[in-house]
Amino acid sequence: MSNIKKRLKAERRFKFYGQLGVFLSLLFVTLLMLKIFTTGSGAFFRTTIEADVFFDPKFMQVDKNSSDKEISRSSFEALADSVVNNNFKDLNEGQFIKVREMFTRRFDYQLRDYFLDNKDDYKKTVKLKITASSDLDQIVKGNYPRNVPEEQRKINDYQLSILDELNKQERIGSTFNFWFFTNGDSRDPETAGIWGAIMGSFYALMVCLAFAFPIGLFASVYLEEYTKPGKITDLIEVNINNLAAVPSIVFGLLGLGMLIGVFNMPFQVPLVGGLTLGFMTLPTIIIACRSSLRAVPPSIRHGALALGATKTQTTFHHVVPLALPGTLTGTIIGMAQALGETAPLLMVGMVAFVMEIPGGPLDPATGLPSQIYLWSESAERGFIEKTSAGIMLLLLFLILMNLTAVLIRRKVEVKW
Amino acid sequence: MVDNNNFALKTNNVYVHYGNKMAINNVALDFPKNEVTSLIGPSGCGKSTFLRCLNRMNDVIDSCKVEGSFIMNNTIDIYRDDLPIENLREKIGMVFQKPNPFPKSIYENVAYGPKIHGVTSSQSELDDLVKESLHRAGLYDEVKDRLTDVATGLSGGQQQRLCIARAISIKPEIILMDEPCSALDPIATAKIEDLINELKENYTIIIVTHSMSQASRVSTKTAFFHLGNLIEEGDTSKIFTKPDKEQTNDYITGRFG
Ligand SMILES: Nc1ncnc2c1ncn2[C@@H]1O[C@H](COP(=O)(O)OP(=O)(O)OP(=O)(O)O)[C@@H](O)[C@H]1O
Ligand SMILES: [Mg+2]
Repeated sequence: MSNIKKRLKAERRFKFYGQLGVFLSLLFVTLLMLKIFTTGSGAFFRTTIEADVFFDPKFMQVDKNSSDKEISRSSFEALADSVVNNNFKDLNEGQFIKVREMFTRRFDYQLRDYFLDNKDDYKKTVKLKITASSDLDQIVKGNYPRNVPEEQRKINDYQLSILDELNKQERIGSTFNFWFFTNGDSRDPETAGIWGAIMGSFYALMVCLAFAFPIGLFASVYLEEYTKPGKITDLIEVNINNLAAVPSIVFGLLGLGMLIGVFNMPFQVPLVGGLTLGFMTLPTIIIACRSSLRAVPPSIRHGALALGATKTQTTFHHVVPLALPGTLTGTIIGMAQALGETAPLLMVGMVAFVMEIPGGPLDPATGLPSQIYLWSESAERGFIEKTSAGIMLLLLFLILMNLTAVLIRRKVEVKW
Repeated sequence: MVDNNNFALKTNNVYVHYGNKMAINNVALDFPKNEVTSLIGPSGCGKSTFLRCLNRMNDVIDSCKVEGSFIMNNTIDIYRDDLPIENLREKIGMVFQKPNPFPKSIYENVAYGPKIHGVTSSQSELDDLVKESLHRAGLYDEVKDRLTDVATGLSGGQQQRLCIARAISIKPEIILMDEPCSALDPIATAKIEDLINELKENYTIIIVTHSMSQASRVSTKTAFFHLGNLIEEGDTSKIFTKPDKEQTNDYITGRFG
């Protein structure tokens, strides 16, 4: 009698511990997400200052009849300065510099981009929302405190007074920061974007896939279907499993030493990064593929062999197609791992400041995680929200990839 | 008694080892053309092992060593080095104990053999061959509207008849069947037995079975194995009515096995 009570109590206690564990892990994940979302969401918006822009021939080297090429090559720096002078009357030189600092350094680019699309505004005055500098942006978003001594602020009292004036005139606004999704990296947080890193990671993953998937598939097929079990296959098996557990930085060193050192491949390019990630993903793919091959019942092989199919026909007509969903699932999970890996990218130099969007696997590039790492290292406050926003995107890609893997597994699950 | 030319397959001095373990011990057995021969015997006596020797499916098993002579149509040594194993299996088909259709469409299952052997030269010819094979396996009427459905969705009995259709699609001379009905209910079994009776017009059939009644219903010749030895062989009627050996008698009367 007392025994059953004790056992039930133990049961309840165990259940409680389990629930507590689940609750705590969910709590931590939620806190992490919350933190990332609250810090990162700011990166999707940027502060703007409304200004009257007069496309003044005096300050422009081009006119409405100029070709796009000419416009792209010409400087709008002088025009930008004139906009500042026109909108804020009677500035002395010191004041001018301070006001100019409140706008993004890429002020001129923004004017040029606008003019490219609106050449008819030549000699006309239009109201434009000019992007504010990151420091002003951070003040407006409340990430920088205002009520600290002036020397601890990046925005001085004079600039604050201008800001308040602009606020009163309702000329401070906020706009969706599509630059974050279309630009490459930049020294200025307000114009820094993640697209370069996304493309860098994309090319690296494509190289990784093109390298690791066929090799992994053929290696697995050979090991599973063609070799006889024995000491050598056991040795290979153990080695592959070990390889899967090797820290990624070791693969990075391999990429550095072999691809760059021995084969003289260029530094910093997705081709090398992708191959390095490929070394890392290969064991994952082989393990997934071999277990999928092993899951194909021998009766299928016997059925084909008994019909007079050759070993290769049996393998590629029947066994491999059945093992493919499992292999793909493993591959995608391996690629998701590769996407998040920073260390190999660091070793092969895919962690430099790259402004241009890479156009192919041979262009210098960073990867998503290394871009996040770069931003997190940066002292500027404006990059903190970029870091979190970058993490959000990385997590999104990881979730999408893992979801695809699960869906493939669900969808193509074979019934015998 | 029978003229030599009427044997589809003659075996002699057959020994099979799995590693050091002997599974078949000096067996000699001949299979008359266009007749059904059944192999019976207690579990583990080596019936499947012997059957697998006949289309060299034992080659798949690493530890398995086969010795002996296997002569097909009085001329072809089926273990000859220069005879491609694929050609041999085209001539000697096999149906397994557990239905093992490919997880592809019904059509694909039957069309696969003809495709790899290049039996047909056009799509319509292949269509006809698939239809004919399904017909002869007594399955066509049941599946004619869903040839593109996946074969693993069929019932066990249908799957087994599909496997028979698959085996006869490449027009073998001999069909080996290893307990083809052991996974089936009596109705499905009856259908397969009817099928065997029809097929023997054109094929030599060698069937392993645990059912005495099945052996007596479908076969004209029966061989009784025990512990890797061939104890007795002969006309089915004789084996089941007055066998020469005590062991055979004990087995068929159910006294051991
Ligand atoms: N792949 C294998 N490896 C090792 N030994 C095997 C293998 N297959 C069969 N044997 C052994 O060979 C002997 C004969 O087996 P076999 O499968 O031929 O018997 P069987 O007469 O078909 O039995 P059942 O009626 O149960 O199917 C058995 O002792 C079995 O353990
Ligand atoms: Mg058996």
